[in-house]
Parts: sequence; structure tokens; C-alpha cells
Amino acid sequence: MATEEDSAVKEPLDLIRLSLDERIYVKLRSDRELRGKLHAYDQHLNMILGDVEEVITTVEIDDETYEEIVKTSKRVVPYLFVRGDGVILVSPPLRTS
Amino acid sequence: MLFFSYFKELVGKEVTVELKNDLAIRGTLHSVDQYLNIKLENTRVVEQDKYPHMLSVKNCFIRGSVVRYVLLPPDGVDVDILHDATRREARGG
Amino acid sequence: MSIISGLEDLVDETISVITNDGRNIVGILKGYDQATNLIMDESHERVYSTRTGVEQLVLGLYIIRGDNISVVGELDEDLDSNLDLSQLRAQPLKPVMH
Repeated sequence: MATEEDSAVKEPLDLIRLSLDERIYVKLRSDRELRGKLHAYDQHLNMILGDVEEVITTVEIDDETYEEIVKTSKRVVPYLFVRGDGVILVSPPLRTS
Repeated sequence: MLFFSYFKELVGKEVTVELKNDLAIRGTLHSVDQYLNIKLENTRVVEQDKYPHMLSVKNCFIRGSVVRYVLLPPDGVDVDILHDATRREARGG
Repeated sequence: MSIISGLEDLVDETISVITNDGRNIVGILKGYDQATNLIMDESHERVYSTRTGVEQLVLGLYIIRGDNISVVGELDEDLDSNLDLSQLRAQPLKPVMH
């Protein structure tokens, strides 16, 4: 049972606490994005996610036309520890497409 | 402290540590410290042909600050324990 | 379980260090501290390239600041002596992007 104090959102990390055991979206440095179930986090935003889908976006320049070619690669990881210093943003469930 | 404690429990298990230079090293977790520096034994680089730089290294120390991910073994994750520990840590912090 | 047990058994052993700018330095570990600052003696850099084999540059006595260290590996001398560095070709390692 969540008491009123447990569900109050006073600071950013409270919002993340409410996302425990929910699927979240994490944007990371070096053009990486994760979607996965949040199982643990700390004040540095170190996290453990489950059933993780990672999307890496790379941009290549075409040698002849100099056009930017955007490519994405995906992989799935059962359980992943993510170091917090690479985290740019965390979004709770249902707020992402 | 949460993740330091967690990784201490994981000692002896196989993990893959992916670094911020894209190098991925697989090995048996030997030890961890409060900075989350990690020592692996019996290591092998995941893409050894592309990265032969550590062919003669079997034990290594990885500085916590260069870790991007640690791929965890499913039998090394108890989600109920993690949820409880996270809530306890959130109250304490 | 602490950082002390991390490197104490490597003192006076040959180590292979990967720095944050992607260099590989091999030498004998003479000392270290809790910030992973290292003192290395008789050190050399192994320069990887896709065009020629590995080139070795003599560096000598080096102190490497911990902030710039990615990996400290224990060099297995048997494995290393079986490596033909002159035939080994690879892209240099990428720098660490924080």
C-alpha cells in the first residue's frame, strides 16, 4: 500500500521511484536510447533495467553526395546495469511514443 | 552503496563489461570497490578480431568511470530484492 | 573487495594499460594509489595500425594519471611471447567518450 508520503513527488528522483518495476525510456550519451523495466537505481542514476531494447543511432556521410545517412541498430539484453554518468534523461512509462 | 553491495553479491559470476570506448570485455567478476571499479578474471574481448589489443591479458582491472554497461546474468538478478533495496536507498538518500 | 586488492598483486608485474585516448602502454607496475595513478617502469607504447604490424615506442619511466586510465590488464608473458606483433593489424582503439 502506497502511503501519501510514498507517492508524493517533491523532487526529480521521486518521479523515478514511482517508475520502479515499470518500463521506462532512457536517453544516453553517444546517441543511445534504452527501453526497459526499471529494477533498481540510485542517486547517480546508475540503474538496472530488465528486458532492455537498446537503439544506437549513427550518422554516416555519403562519400559522393555528402548526404547524411542515418542508421539505427537494435539489440535486446535480458538485464543491464547502466552507469549513471551516461544518462541524459529518464522518462516514465506512457510518455513516449 | 546499493550497486556496490549488488556487485559484491555477483562476484564469481560471468559478466560482460561494455566500456565507453565500445570495447566489450567478458569475464568472471573477481571484485568490485566503492567506485565500482571492476576486476575480471579469465577475460576475453567480445570482438577479438576487431580488438586484438588485449590478446595476452587474462585478468584485468576496469576503471569504474569508463564503464557504460554491465550485461548481467539472469540468475544474478533478483528483482524483488532489487526493488526493496532501491526503496530503502531512496528513503535514506 | 576494495580497490587495494585491485592492483596490489600486480606490483612488479608486467601490465598492459589502455588509456582513455585509446593508447596501449605496456610496462612494469611499480606503484599506484587509490585514484588509480600508476607508476610504470621500462614501459613502451604499442601502436596499432591496419597498414603495418604493431610498432613499439620506448617510453621508459612513466606516471599515468588515474583519470586517464580505462583498463589495467595483467600481461600473461607466455601468451604475449606467442603473439607475432609484426603480423597483428588492427584499428587503433577509440577514445573514451564520457
